Amino acid sequence: MKKSKSKNAFILVAATLLAILFLLPLIFMLFTSFKALSESMSSSALFPRAWTLENYSSIFGVAADVPVIRWLANTGIVTIAGTALVVFVDVLAAYALARLNLPGKKFFFTMVVVALTIPGIVTLFPMFYIFRELNLINTFAPLILIYSANTMGVFLVYSFLKGFPRDLEEAAVIDGASLWQILRFVIFPAIRPVVATLAVLTFLTIYNDFLWPSVVTSADEMKTVTVGVANLVQGANFVNPGRMMAATVVATLPALIIFVAANRYFVRSVISSGIK
Amino acid sequence: MRISKTWSIILFLPFLICFTLFLIVPFVYGLYISFHQWSIFGGNGGFVGLDNYVSILTPGNVYSNAFYNGLKNTLIFVAISVVPLVVISLALALVVDSIPDKLKVFYRTVFFISYAVSVTAVSAIFKWLFTGNGGYVNNVMNTFGLGTPNWLNDQPLAWIAILIATVWWTIGFNMILFINALDEVDQNLYEAAGLDGANWWQRFSYITFPSIKGVFVFLTIITVIASFNLYGQTLLITAGGPAQSTTSLIMVIQQVVFNQNNLGMASAMSMLMGFVMVLIVAAQYFYTFRKD
Repeated sequence: MKKSKSKNAFILVAATLLAILFLLPLIFMLFTSFKALSESMSSSALFPRAWTLENYSSIFGVAADVPVIRWLANTGIVTIAGTALVVFVDVLAAYALARLNLPGKKFFFTMVVVALTIPGIVTLFPMFYIFRELNLINTFAPLILIYSANTMGVFLVYSFLKGFPRDLEEAAVIDGASLWQILRFVIFPAIRPVVATLAVLTFLTIYNDFLWPSVVTSADEMKTVTVGVANLVQGANFVNPGRMMAATVVATLPALIIFVAANRYFVRSVISSGIK
Repeated sequence: MRISKTWSIILFLPFLICFTLFLIVPFVYGLYISFHQWSIFGGNGGFVGLDNYVSILTPGNVYSNAFYNGLKNTLIFVAISVVPLVVISLALALVVDSIPDKLKVFYRTVFFISYAVSVTAVSAIFKWLFTGNGGYVNNVMNTFGLGTPNWLNDQPLAWIAILIATVWWTIGFNMILFINALDEVDQNLYEAAGLDGANWWQRFSYITFPSIKGVFVFLTIITVIASFNLYGQTLLITAGGPAQSTTSLIMVIQQVVFNQNNLGMASAMSMLMGFVMVLIVAAQYFYTFRKD
């Protein structure tokens, strides 16, 4: 008994050291954002000697040369609409595949699995060309719509539904419940953990996506925050680490907050239920 | 069930429409474009058959040089990244899994947190950690008199910086899947092994690993796919340098579309890239399950 206690303590110490090491890049990001230019370029200390808000005011202030607030608003619109679309489309499709007499069910299921292997790069530029021909570049349409072909989500919800007993549903059918009532009162409450997982994963995927939004937005005011800040990172005249970290903090914080708040939904096994 | 076929079709229809419009159509259209001389601004310039593919595969011209360089760099990254990304996350999962339950959730969240960080932020942070002049790592190394290596402009240092950034960014997700798999290992087996006096390594290799092998293979495959898609880190941290040694295949394809205005050629490159990826994944899959 005593032996296992000392072993636990050792593991806790090791895990704590690893955790601190792991968090260092984020700590560096946060504290550098409060350093003035000269200190940020020369200091080997994490904490700022002289705290300053000038990096933040240079982004948000009246004289700000980058529309960070606009980028955040764009990201908000795109992620919320995109996530809602994916959840709606995927849950209904997974339910039809897993539970209903969908004609050609086997064919569609195979199609979903095969589509999982198609690499994104193969469809990305043709899709860009199509949206460009439709004059939809620099609109919300390409930024939201493409995520709806999310076969991974269908697969995730499908696997969860497969492992969920049919009894309740059958009882509801015998009681004369409508399809809507079954979905609303039986299925949806039961699959809430997997829907929440799908929603959070989709939200973070869209929020953090880089290649696609960088291809379909050229106008500064249509960029998402991920693309906007990437342009700052690439910009040759943006050589102030403190300012870059301030922009990065602003871009990262909303996703981190949502992630930590939704963390409890990453219920044991939910993500991996799709793998086995 | 009395729910009609019509309803099942109606429920499936939204997905089918999205899937067709945003996956099937662009895939088929991309294949079609790859057989044509096609530019972003000029559109279809005529059928050229396999010419684009031939140009890419015949060594010596500008497109094949770019393609082979991008493919080589991408394969180097796949080769150096997959083992650490899988092995370190498994090791981390084993550490977190042996923490008492109450604290486990906390540590799990900490190591998973970088999953919520975008490639832009990851790149911005690591670019300033590793910048040669004024970067934080070199400031610290300088304090200890360790010199100031030119991380982002010398090889293999540039790959090391990109690898560290990628490992930090990705291991949390892999770790979560490993932890979930470890949670489902039959605890009775460990008790029996404990009675038989099995040591840590024996328990790992005879009980733990066989139980999580499915997840291990799945994660190796998705890690290979993710590493193939290398783009943001090399674009933003090293800008493809030094001397184009970190210019990844997707960066090459993107340059062919926008700098050379050659969508036909870029589509052919994408198809070839997709083909190489599917081949490698299929080989991995076949190799693993043939041995079972």
